[in-house]
Amino acid sequence: MVPLIRSAMCDLLPAAGGLPGVHDTGITAFLTQLRRETTSLTWVGLCLGAVLYALTPVLTIGVPLPSFMLSPERRDRHANGITNTQIYLLRQAVVLLKMYACMCWGQDANVRRHFQIAPYPADPGTFRASS
Amino acid sequence: MSHMSFQPRGAEVTADADYIVIGSGAGGAAAAVTLARAGAGVLIVEAGPWRDPEDYASSTYGALRDMMDDWGSTITMGRALWPVVQARLVGGTTVINSAICVRTPADIFEEWQQGHGVGAPAYAERIWAWQDMLESELCVAETGPEAMGRSNQLALKGDAAAGYDGHVIKRYAKGCVGSGQCLQGCRSMKKQSTNLNYVPETLMRGGSILSCAPVDKILFDGSKAIGVTGRFLHPQTRAKGAPFSARAKLGVIVAASATWSPVILRQSGLTHKAVGAGFRSHPGTGVFGVYDEPVDMNTGVTQGWASTRFRKDPGLKLETLSIPMEMAISRLAGGGRALMERIAGYRHIAMWVHALRARSVGRVDVGWTGRPVVRFGLDEADMRRFREGMWRVAQLHFAAGAREVIPGIVGLPYSLGPKEVDAIATGPLDPRNYVAILSHLFGGCTMGADPSRSVCDGDGRVHGRDRLWVADASLMPDNIGVNPQHTIMAMAMEVATGALRGGPCP
Repeated sequence: MVPLIRSAMCDLLPAAGGLPGVHDTGITAFLTQLRRETTSLTWVGLCLGAVLYALTPVLTIGVPLPSFMLSPERRDRHANGITNTQIYLLRQAVVLLKMYACMCWGQDANVRRHFQIAPYPADPGTFRASS
Repeated sequence: MSHMSFQPRGAEVTADADYIVIGSGAGGAAAAVTLARAGAGVLIVEAGPWRDPEDYASSTYGALRDMMDDWGSTITMGRALWPVVQARLVGGTTVINSAICVRTPADIFEEWQQGHGVGAPAYAERIWAWQDMLESELCVAETGPEAMGRSNQLALKGDAAAGYDGHVIKRYAKGCVGSGQCLQGCRSMKKQSTNLNYVPETLMRGGSILSCAPVDKILFDGSKAIGVTGRFLHPQTRAKGAPFSARAKLGVIVAASATWSPVILRQSGLTHKAVGAGFRSHPGTGVFGVYDEPVDMNTGVTQGWASTRFRKDPGLKLETLSIPMEMAISRLAGGGRALMERIAGYRHIAMWVHALRARSVGRVDVGWTGRPVVRFGLDEADMRRFREGMWRVAQLHFAAGAREVIPGIVGLPYSLGPKEVDAIATGPLDPRNYVAILSHLFGGCTMGADPSRSVCDGDGRVHGRDRLWVADASLMPDNIGVNPQHTIMAMAMEVATGALRGGPCP
């Protein structure tokens, strides 16, 4: 499922206007880490969102093809259209994809430098042992 | 033992104390330290790990992973699926909130007394006395101008023009430096979350704590609470560890939050219909203002300005709220190149929010996984007031000089100018058109004089049970229209004081 999720995220946050896309910010490593660390519920939600994203260009731009078979221009129209769909559950499924894509993108040091924000230090992920 | 963290599978871990306190957030820590100061032996049992400031994540991803309850995946089950924000670590939500300190308004006690038979004037006086002490001990102060940041300064400017009678927020913070990291935990150690003060003090006074130790159920001998059981849970791998069992000589205090306390009571055999009922909240959402000059809302204190002018009518609290960049941009509508064009303007946006004192009532049930299921939604009257809150925030942005606002409402244009802002006031009433969160939670184990409609009496003692108390936001029979931490802590200290007086339930 990682390629399908990555494909949807790259459509949602492409390189544009001098800003890097999520493709340029270590999305593959991010998703590998996320798959390893997150809860089953969150991962299932992302998988469901990615499947729905791939299957719904027919609803957003009237093209009966999965999103990954579309031209870049049509993919862009689908990415924008699905986030504004009137179908609430579909919109919510894509919200989760978009939220995690934004997390990956927004923690990238180059992106943060562009917005004059200090890079994040590494998250230690540690906790206090017994004492 | 003063602190025992995760223990791998093996023999049962046992412990005993005079009092067991379930939870270490605002309510649990305040109750525990009150008991410890009186010389009682206290065992805190906390579901999450103990993370010190050097353990805190900086990124939103890390904060979700390390601090939030189940990666922040709790959502309301209603027409709209809105996230319920709660932390799960030693210190509870005090680690990830903005540490806003607001004294309990007098009219709240009057409402509780009229509607539920609790909260008499003498009780109110005692709560305020605890709040006096808390303000002194936890260094409550207004954020200084050097730490305010531009977003908060703009709000002050807008307030002066719009007449919202706002103020610089008082917070549990000692010398805030405006690092903008409240929501990921204050690595500067300025925010006075309970993992830095009341929990260590409880241990210093001879208490103990089990962390990574979610309680499965409370043990009873007849009607008398005598202990708790559970099983350690690793915070990273989620592997189950050793079982634990703790005995309480004098009583058990439940302070696991408005969502978890009802679940623990229900799983412990309290099947009364009032357990889980009366859940209330302050759902809120943000409106972005777009300014000509950069705002850089990631700098300065996370929340520095607020207005309570509309608390009673129509029931709104307005605040600034700077969220991390990656969260802010995910709130911008659209996808693809259209979204990237909007993100490019990030430095020029400021997010301010409202929190609605919703009248709608929900309930907390136990899901099939044993986790809380929050059934809650806003009725039409609440949605009208919710919408008004967004309109008032938008007006404040324009009073501060914004050139446009981004309401984030499905069905309205992406951005609105000053002449179009009334579209918010007549916007859709379907909650599914809005992106909101529930950050202040109340009820579920409400106190009241009538045992048929409430879980606890006015002292927080569970009706019909001996030596069992509740000491968190789940006690509150109604929402209060202001940030609840100060009220939770004071009520928990009052409950603990009552527990020290002891005695079985009459």
